[in-house]
Amino acid sequence: MRPTKGKLLGILAATFVGQMALQVGVIQDYWKKNYWSGQGFAESLSPDQTLLQLFGFREFLAGILWVRADSFFDEGNYDAVLPIIRLCTILDPKQIDIYATGMWHIAYNFTDEEQRSDRRYIPSALALGKEGSRQNPNTYELFFETGWIWYHKIDDDYHQSIKWFRQAQERVDMLPARRNLLANAYQRNNQVKEGLEHYWKLYAETAEQYEKQKDIYQLFQQKETLEQNLDTMIVRMVQRGWLAQERGEAGQRVYDTTEPFDVGFSARVIVDEPKVLRVQGTWNVLPVGTRIRIIVRDADNPNFTLAAMDWDGQNEVVLDPERDATFMQDQGFVKNRRFNKRIDMSKDPTMYPFARKSENYLVEFYYNPRSASLHVQDKFGWNGEGMTDKNFLRTDVRKEFEWIPGPKAGMFTEDWKLAERPTPPARIVYTALTLSRDQILRKGDWIDKTPMVQTSNFDASRFSVTTEDIIDVPTLRSSAPSPIAPGEVKKTGDNP
Amino acid sequence: MRPIMAIATTTVGEAIRRRVLLIILFIGVLLLSIIPSLSVLTARSEQSTMISTMYAVLRGTSALIAIILTIYMIPNEIERRTIYTILSKPVMRWQFLVGKFMGAVLALGLMIVLMSSVMVLLFYIFQQPSPERLLEVARQPFFYFLEMMLLAAVCIFFSTFTTPLVNFFLSIGIWGVGTVLSPLYSSIASNSGASPIMQSVAKFVTGAMPAFSNYDVKNPIINPGQVIENEQKYFIYIVLYAILYSAGLLVAGMVIFDKREV
Repeated sequence: MRPTKGKLLGILAATFVGQMALQVGVIQDYWKKNYWSGQGFAESLSPDQTLLQLFGFREFLAGILWVRADSFFDEGNYDAVLPIIRLCTILDPKQIDIYATGMWHIAYNFTDEEQRSDRRYIPSALALGKEGSRQNPNTYELFFETGWIWYHKIDDDYHQSIKWFRQAQERVDMLPARRNLLANAYQRNNQVKEGLEHYWKLYAETAEQYEKQKDIYQLFQQKETLEQNLDTMIVRMVQRGWLAQERGEAGQRVYDTTEPFDVGFSARVIVDEPKVLRVQGTWNVLPVGTRIRIIVRDADNPNFTLAAMDWDGQNEVVLDPERDATFMQDQGFVKNRRFNKRIDMSKDPTMYPFARKSENYLVEFYYNPRSASLHVQDKFGWNGEGMTDKNFLRTDVRKEFEWIPGPKAGMFTEDWKLAERPTPPARIVYTALTLSRDQILRKGDWIDKTPMVQTSNFDASRFSVTTEDIIDVPTLRSSAPSPIAPGEVKKTGDNP
Repeated sequence: MRPIMAIATTTVGEAIRRRVLLIILFIGVLLLSIIPSLSVLTARSEQSTMISTMYAVLRGTSALIAIILTIYMIPNEIERRTIYTILSKPVMRWQFLVGKFMGAVLALGLMIVLMSSVMVLLFYIFQQPSPERLLEVARQPFFYFLEMMLLAAVCIFFSTFTTPLVNFFLSIGIWGVGTVLSPLYSSIASNSGASPIMQSVAKFVTGAMPAFSNYDVKNPIINPGQVIENEQKYFIYIVLYAILYSAGLLVAGMVIFDKREV
């Protein structure tokens, strides 16, 4: 039987329409959603990058490139590693190690001559973490790593690390020891109750598992660790007066935090040489361990805010930081109730360009008791209740936030809302001194003059020390007094 | 039906005897056997790299075989004038075309089964997976077979009116667009920021050109743990798509071949 041409054309038209309906109506979107490994990239990649990640050998290529990146890393050629990281994640977005190592590399390894990291890269590291966790929602790792950058590297805005750690907890593969960290993040966000509850929850789970499998030593270890953490935390809750405050009995007894201690903060900045600052200040806390955060930044950069930048501002990975922005962060280590730090930014012009047209730069001083070491927190409390400063204590520097999971929030859907928390605001010691561009670069009127700015309460006589400081240890002072450096005001009984 | 089957079985025999195809097959098997030793490149994702690279070799080799096998089928018959002997018998031109296509698909199936067996065997030797995992890995080659069936239909369609050399580049191009570029076009088509002309072109490409990428369903296999809903339904759709598209191409080929002077 010979089919007629008309019949054939009819069949042809029917098959064409049929395949088109199937492809456009059903298959195309389903495939993109479930089988395309470049899912979520199309919007953020250029066509050439999209092409690359569509080729069949991409996982293999990513492997080879990653080995190459390793050799660049060993050679110290960090800049070369950066595009390879991006290329590898495009080629194979399921390689968790590349995301995790890439985030760490971007956030920590771009440093200046004095080992200060370039914080302008942090938003890129976080964006990489966001992308990695979107691409790999089945594992806890990139949620944890992103939370860790918030917790450890940014060391501020702890509600962000809580959000990421909570998402990590939802994944069954999370290592037991890493689950504990959420309790610490809660404490740093002044959510003490939630921190305690988290410890209890973990303890109950671990104890139950241990009862079933007593021969697993790791479970025993985890149970012991949690027991110890709970013990310490409960003792702290009592000693720091937190429990009494919760019960409305705060005024009935004296706790470690009852009488706020005045830290007596003051600061001075001297521009020794172009882009070289001498930063000095006082902090009347004798025990060693206090670090005052010092930030030098553009005064008018819209991405910068008080002692921070818009860390979470990038949603798509852009590995180039804002080249003309200056943001330096360092720490003034307090010993003998003062800090004295020379900050040399002259050797790294790409990191500290001081290139913006604005005439002013800020030198900010920031102390958040929530990031303080535990022995300091024992006096200052979780939120600085035991700390005050008659000149620079601020409660408006950081707002209180928390992320609340929405009804659709789950392993594969992002539905979190940022809400203000109706709790006492963070008590932060903060001030900023302003320097002009000419002053920092020692140009114009400042070629021959040494620019110096200071807080009105700065007492220069406390910095006339010429010899190396000897640290006074308070517990030894009664039996063997340490030599007091010339010019230092001896005080007793007023230290935490 | 009998003439179609007779042409199909003869085509399979011819394909097996063709040295160039056997050489490509041999190279494919050789490449597959090298892959396990390359897995040292990646520590944690060793298994996923191994599987994806094996799949890439399998897919590439199969496509090359599909193209080389089919582009010569009709031109060779015409050049050697053997087509006169066939068409002088009670065989219609459309039966000849369908027979050739079915023969090519059968031959492709045999070669893909052979390569997949080697792949699965190597995977078993080097990774010692569970039987479920082994079955999962063995699933993808079936979809590559469907993809190659579609590619063979494209080649046969072009072979009704072009020379083998032109057909080779045309088919490679169409396959490239349908595999590598298909998701890209689909993204442009749904991107509201793209220019209207680009969007129209992209929509035409995604709707009219054969979407070979539909058969690349390896993502959950190389990255286990992904939750995919209604997968069976999707598989039915893509089988239907392959049948419809191949049928359409064969019908178009019949229309052209029927008018052709041989």
